[in-house]
Amino acid sequence: MTPGSSKWLSGRGKAIAPYVFILPPLAYLAVFMFWPLARQMWLSLTDTRLTNPNGGSFVGLENYQWLFDDPEFYTTLNVTVLYAAVTVVLGVALGTISALAINRPFPGRPLARAIMLFGWAVPNVAASLIWLWMYNERSGVFNDMLASLGLDRVSWLTSTHMAFSSIVAVTVWQVAPFVMLVVLAALQSVPDEVREAARVDGADALSVFRAVTLPHILPSLQLVSLLVAVWSIRRFDIIYLLTGGGPIGSTSTLVVKIRQTAFESHELGVASAYGAIGLILALLVAFVHFVTDRRRQKWMAQ
Amino acid sequence: MTSTIALSIFRYVLIAALVAFAGFPIYWMASTALSANSELYSTGQVPWPQLQKLPELISAMAGVPIGRWLFNTFLIACGTTVLSLLLGSLAGYALSRFRFRGRGLVGFLLFMTQVVPEALILVPLYAMFITLGLLNNLMGLVLANVGFSLPVAAFILKSAMDSIPYEIEESAIIDNCPRFGILSMIVLPLIMPSVAAAAVIAFFAGWNEFLFASTFLMDRSLWPTSVGLASFIGQYETPLSAVMGAALLFSVPAIVFFLLIQRQIVAGLTAGAVKG
Repeated sequence: MTPGSSKWLSGRGKAIAPYVFILPPLAYLAVFMFWPLARQMWLSLTDTRLTNPNGGSFVGLENYQWLFDDPEFYTTLNVTVLYAAVTVVLGVALGTISALAINRPFPGRPLARAIMLFGWAVPNVAASLIWLWMYNERSGVFNDMLASLGLDRVSWLTSTHMAFSSIVAVTVWQVAPFVMLVVLAALQSVPDEVREAARVDGADALSVFRAVTLPHILPSLQLVSLLVAVWSIRRFDIIYLLTGGGPIGSTSTLVVKIRQTAFESHELGVASAYGAIGLILALLVAFVHFVTDRRRQKWMAQ
Repeated sequence: MTSTIALSIFRYVLIAALVAFAGFPIYWMASTALSANSELYSTGQVPWPQLQKLPELISAMAGVPIGRWLFNTFLIACGTTVLSLLLGSLAGYALSRFRFRGRGLVGFLLFMTQVVPEALILVPLYAMFITLGLLNNLMGLVLANVGFSLPVAAFILKSAMDSIPYEIEESAIIDNCPRFGILSMIVLPLIMPSVAAAAVIAFFAGWNEFLFASTFLMDRSLWPTSVGLASFIGQYETPLSAVMGAALLFSVPAIVFFLLIQRQIVAGLTAGAVKG
């Protein structure tokens, strides 16, 4: 079904009809998405403050200058990129392992599968509350367990060397189930006979995985990596509620920084400059996906 | 033979560990809610849910305006769903049924919205909503949400429409049926499962949303559950069991729907990232 092979439109109607449909949604996005995006690019060149968000005068690249001179900016950039990279690697790895583990039937599989989706299905704010309580330093369950083993209590969210890992753990808990579902769907396309034949020929599990399974799920892994990376760059609630970007900026990603610079420091211009960097980062990820996808398709076509 | 047994034992241990990791936080949420202990912060908690504490939990939750919050959440989620489906089906139909100048650009713009962090348009929307009087207004919040869920709905509906033959529409067109009628009376009923998936995704995008809601709504009476629950963080007057009870009430609908139509949701969320 190719769009537009449509013989059923002719004359003037043909020219106008598609625009009648596409205009309302496009106009909507223009007002509530693209205009604000353009506006935020403009704001990044002004000294606008929250107290007068529609005033503010042009200051050129001053905000960017300020950003590039600020060591906190580099911390934020590092944390954002590291956070996206680590959550992609761990989330995709754990999701794939989960999918492989429950792909074949076993007693209780539907229940196990349902429970394994919890982290993905729970609203972010509810997830934040429960993890905040489990991470609680004085009487949270993790420190209670450590204490009963005779170990020292850990400052899960308030020490600079633990906070980042704690946030990553919650994120992986949330994204791995989604990866699992995507990989499970892809595993349906792996021909069982080929896998069995390889096994009969004496190939061990790992080489069967590498030679038969992996090529089949690779496109899905690539797609889901893109999604997880983009979500990590966009993710706000979990980080903001668990650590607020602290301690000492060790979990401060770009989006947390944007919100804080705008609504706590009232510096809309600087916040928008952070936003511009965030947009570049997100587009970069999308571009990388686009290019590798092209290359993979070419490679598969050969 | 021993190695296959070892392998299957390893597999079950692995599955048990994965289930424990995934399920424990939810179990703990329920068990905290049902411990109904106001001293949780100092004494720790009993590790199993105590059903006999349910009346205590209910009376502790009387201090939480959870009914009001869930009602606001429901309004926001419904508004987001209706508007996203309305505009998303128009965009999906145009992309699926017509080849027109600028079609590639439209597809690209829709894809773009999927990589844009919400925080990026937070400040400009805030400024715009002040001017339009949409600040501190549920409608404003819905308008902001739809920008992000409309493209998702469009992608889901487009790929569903691609899979139905247009011969079905053809006879209606010959009969000079208006095209909006064709879309709503013929095409959409044929792709009901996808419409449902798009609706659930949009609904829970609105249900879960926190960033816009916490920025645009100042009146406590307008707060949705996400903002209300977040306000408990760092304050210790409300018993933790009541907080967790409220969080549970907020989570259950999302869990139920996500589990029910997981396949369609995954297909929907990945549709936007795949071209063609």
